[in-house]
Amino acid sequence: MHNPFLPYPVRIAMLRVETEDKNLRTFKFEFVNPGDEEKFAYMPGQFAELSVPGQGEIPIGIASSPTEKGSVMFTVNRVGQVSSYMHNMKEGDIMGLRGPLGHPYPLDTLEGKNIIIIAGGFAVTTLRSTIVWMLQPENRPKYGRITFVYGARTPGLLCFKDDWSEWQKRDDIDVHVTIDREAPGWSGKVGFVPAVTKEVCPPPENTAAIICGPPVMIKFTQPVLAEAGYSPDNIIMSLENRMKCGLGICGRCNVGPEYVCKDGPVFTLSQLNQLPREY
Amino acid sequence: MAEYIVKENALRAFFQALAQERRLLAPVRVGGKLQMAEARPEEVTLDYGNTHQSPKSAFFPQTERLMAFHKDTAQSDPFVYKPLGLDKITPTVLFGLRPCDAQGLAICDQVFQNDRFTDPYWKTKYESSIKIGLACDQPGPACFCTAVGGSPYGEAGLDALAAVKDAGLALKAITEAGAEFLKKLPGLESGAAESELAERRKAVESKMPGPLDQAKVAAGAILDIFNQPHWKDTADRCLNCGTCTFVCPTCHCFDIQDEQNDKGGVRMRNWDTCMSWLYTVHGTGHNPRPTKTERMRQRFLHKLKYIPLKQNGQSGCIGCGRCVTLCPVNIDIREVAKQMNG
Ligand SMILES: Cc1cc2nc3c(=O)[nH]c(=O)nc-3n(C[C@H](O)[C@H](O)[C@H](O)COP(=O)(O)OP(=O)(O)OC[C@H]3O[C@@H](n4cnc5c(N)ncnc54)[C@H](O)[C@@H]3O)c2cc1C
Ligand code: SF4
Ligand code: SF4
Ligand code: FES
Repeated sequence: MHNPFLPYPVRIAMLRVETEDKNLRTFKFEFVNPGDEEKFAYMPGQFAELSVPGQGEIPIGIASSPTEKGSVMFTVNRVGQVSSYMHNMKEGDIMGLRGPLGHPYPLDTLEGKNIIIIAGGFAVTTLRSTIVWMLQPENRPKYGRITFVYGARTPGLLCFKDDWSEWQKRDDIDVHVTIDREAPGWSGKVGFVPAVTKEVCPPPENTAAIICGPPVMIKFTQPVLAEAGYSPDNIIMSLENRMKCGLGICGRCNVGPEYVCKDGPVFTLSQLNQLPREY
Repeated sequence: MAEYIVKENALRAFFQALAQERRLLAPVRVGGKLQMAEARPEEVTLDYGNTHQSPKSAFFPQTERLMAFHKDTAQSDPFVYKPLGLDKITPTVLFGLRPCDAQGLAICDQVFQNDRFTDPYWKTKYESSIKIGLACDQPGPACFCTAVGGSPYGEAGLDALAAVKDAGLALKAITEAGAEFLKKLPGLESGAAESELAERRKAVESKMPGPLDQAKVAAGAILDIFNQPHWKDTADRCLNCGTCTFVCPTCHCFDIQDEQNDKGGVRMRNWDTCMSWLYTVHGTGHNPRPTKTERMRQRFLHKLKYIPLKQNGQSGCIGCGRCVTLCPVNIDIREVAKQMNG
């Protein structure tokens, strides 16, 4: 019987400091046992429990795309016990990975649509996964226009610089990276995510939005999309709640009758409008 | 299905046979309180209302070690968790489960084996056990199984059902597993039990409370019930002590924690309670249920709205009355259910 509590052993194959404040580190894991990578078959939007033996587990969104074979990538903010411990680990260390958990973004039902992807801060992780996946030659033709809005407070707090600067050179995705205030050496956009969204969002016809970011960003971006005519069915979000099992069993992460871990974390705004705001 | 009569003078032999076949869990006195616990045949009592705690710990112990790792780099797989306890499940028979509790465990089973995942620690224990119920002829003052769709002679979640008859037992099998188990039990004598059980069921049900009207709760929108004004009034009394969640047969929440020393460590799960502030607080300090009002509301919505929504209308409260009896400030789920339906 499969034991969904048991992590696959993984080795830290690469780690890098992601942001200038050093609060974010990106980890690439390789599976220790051959065959485990196939069992960990995932899609963009899913998450995993990162397991540090003796310390505990934390749910973290998967930042790599399933098309990037050989390793799985996560970006971890230093917050409390487990995440701080991870910030002191080294390449080569053994830990565990449990999942994939949750549901991915509805990439199949989004086929044929224009898509605007809106990210704030380090919540960009699963959206990086989504964009990498969509830009694959075999996937790109399935979607219309792709627009990417990404903001952080300062240039040094933007994640995945290598990725989005490559995307900026392409003509099959419109990339709008913005920072909150003018900063030395920054020649890109300046302004908050909601304002940039208002400026660049495509007309709502046949278009869906995926938003991930801190609560304030979501709070002010939703009305912008509503005003632009986006229906709540076409606004897709990913929730975070405190988690333990990730399996819909331990009870902790529920929002109404739904478990964020098992039934989410991806929900449409119209689904969320029917549920208590307990997240 | 097979029917049996166990005469008073054969009762001890019946419990001995159960204990010989499998580990026997039955109602016994532990530290002055009646509990469902490992029992010697001569200790088993037939004279009880219900066990103090729910029997859920038979399948979902209050503390359970899930896996362990070692730190010895000279051995194989250092820092790799290996599962504990799954390879040595003791075959168990439970005797004397009350029908309400058996229904409660069946509700938990839908959670531990949900539409996406199966919890092997639960499944291996729950499914391999034989569950023999003991019907209630004298339901307690706080019992209300009939108000929430159950019966003192209910059969859900049971492999066999017994009732006390002439200081012995009338017994019938309910599932194939139950029939198979009883058939092989040495010394058990066949005898008509079915019609007597059916008659008695009618008699005791007629003395019990009628159905609690939850039609408006069932039909209402989640947010309408969530936003009802009465929650704060009830919560003002609630101490958030968590007693109700610990004794409830359908409360299944747990925490997962690691413990370690310089040689290795274990990952375990412990019962947890949605009444606690820590239960939902994020690493950032944000808490979606910041005060006791939200936490108490969560418990009642879970029992009376969310579980029915997810489990075909089945009430998440099975009317055992434990929380009603043990709540230090007398919060009564029946009263809350009426307010929700108001
Ligand atoms: C679906 C999902 C995706 C996430 N993706 C990312 C990501 O890509 N990068 C990132 O840095 N963070 C992410 N988080 C948040 C991250 O899980 C928490 O910051 C982390 O659990 C904090 O753990 P800790 O041990 O460092 O903190 P502590 O405060 O010491 O937490 C103790 C325990 O509480 C639980 N916990 C605490 N806060 C949270 C929380 N916000 N969400 C879930 N469980 C929590 C964990 O089980 C943790 O082990 C995500 C959360 C969820 C639910
Ligand atoms: S037992 Fe009573 S006081 Fe304690 S948490 Fe439950 S409802 Fe509140
Ligand atoms: S809510 Fe109370 S009465 Fe209902 S099943 Fe749980 S403990 Fe028993
Ligand atoms: S984390 Fe356990 S139910 Fe969602």
